Amino acid sequence: MRIAIDVMGGDYAPTEIIAGAVKWVQHSDDKLLLVGREEIIKDELQAYNYVQERIEIIPASQVVEMNESPATAMRKKKDASIFVATRLIKESQADAVVSCGSTGAQMAAALFILGRLENIDRPPIVAAIPNHEGSYSLFVDVGANVDCKAQQLLQFARLGKAYASILMDLDNPRIALVNNGEEEGKGNSLTIETYQLLKENQDLNFVGNIEGRDLFSGKTDVMVCDGFTGNILLKSLEGLALFAAQSCLQELGKVPEFLAKFDYTQVGGAPLLGIDGVSIVCHGSSKREAVFNGIKLAVECLEKEMVKRQKLALGQTL
Amino acid sequence: MQEFFELARKILAEQLSIDVELITMETTFEDIEADSIDIVEMIMALEDIYDIEFPEDDLEDYINMGDLIKDLYAYLQQVSK
Repeated sequence: MRIAIDVMGGDYAPTEIIAGAVKWVQHSDDKLLLVGREEIIKDELQAYNYVQERIEIIPASQVVEMNESPATAMRKKKDASIFVATRLIKESQADAVVSCGSTGAQMAAALFILGRLENIDRPPIVAAIPNHEGSYSLFVDVGANVDCKAQQLLQFARLGKAYASILMDLDNPRIALVNNGEEEGKGNSLTIETYQLLKENQDLNFVGNIEGRDLFSGKTDVMVCDGFTGNILLKSLEGLALFAAQSCLQELGKVPEFLAKFDYTQVGGAPLLGIDGVSIVCHGSSKREAVFNGIKLAVECLEKEMVKRQKLALGQTL
Repeated sequence: MQEFFELARKILAEQLSIDVELITMETTFEDIEADSIDIVEMIMALEDIYDIEFPEDDLEDYINMGDLIKDLYAYLQQVSK
């Protein structure tokens, strides 16, 4: 596999991104294409021993900052690392891209460079969270689209269904809408409209609304929400898990094993769905362990033929 | 400019799955719930059709369709000379 790494994106870029990438090269047979400012990457790489042929530096002179508009950056910063890295897939020089930089820029790159799958407007990010049934429930969208329309949430449900079949071998996953009450009429105008759409579409096994307290219940396999809600929920869960882990460490002297399931560094990242390629979004605060696991996820998505299986699940011809 | 506008609004209406008549020169992007990604997509489609690259302006500065179309058309005229 050839994975393009945007080494300039993220709070700890490029040092921690490169450290995670080198660790992956030392662990696997994959080739990594490190995209960013050449001199900086060369300097950082001097600290490591690795097989030279397995790391290639791809120069990119610009970086999309976190506070920049993704759409404007897409037009003004054509040589930004995330855009250069994503173009490597389009040019068949890489099989996937991993970035810890601006999520908006990564989504724009995926949309405009790789292209969307048929009948998909915007790519959502999917994350898997552990549940009481000993399995996982999928959360779509956890941050790519802060403003959504009901039709887009319907598309997220279909993509979540496809990903559930890829990740968990579920043919007919239970799909729920994240809301502030279980009853049909609950919610804001977006969730009320989305509820009706999900209910009308018989190809989806829609089981109704799900409240925040039931996210870990295992009552559902795919939970759909807009990226604004999903991102706040996911980060709240991570914060709560961190708080619980620190409290356990202080009071019991150890951290219970189950809390490791909530450690984002062990998951590494989350794929963008609905695009014609593999693009893994990692936390902005990722360090080497998270980057390593983000690359691992990219390889898994390629091995499981995520894009092809999404297309098949959406009824598209290959 | 009317022909250019008709083409642009047809592209945008298709992207947003809305009636083309809803888009006039006075229509704000907020009115039709078009965000900056939608606008870039429309501009890129126009660039493909006319085989040019429009200037890389701050798209956030444009509030309505008319202002954007006027600027894009002015540039198109300029490069066509």
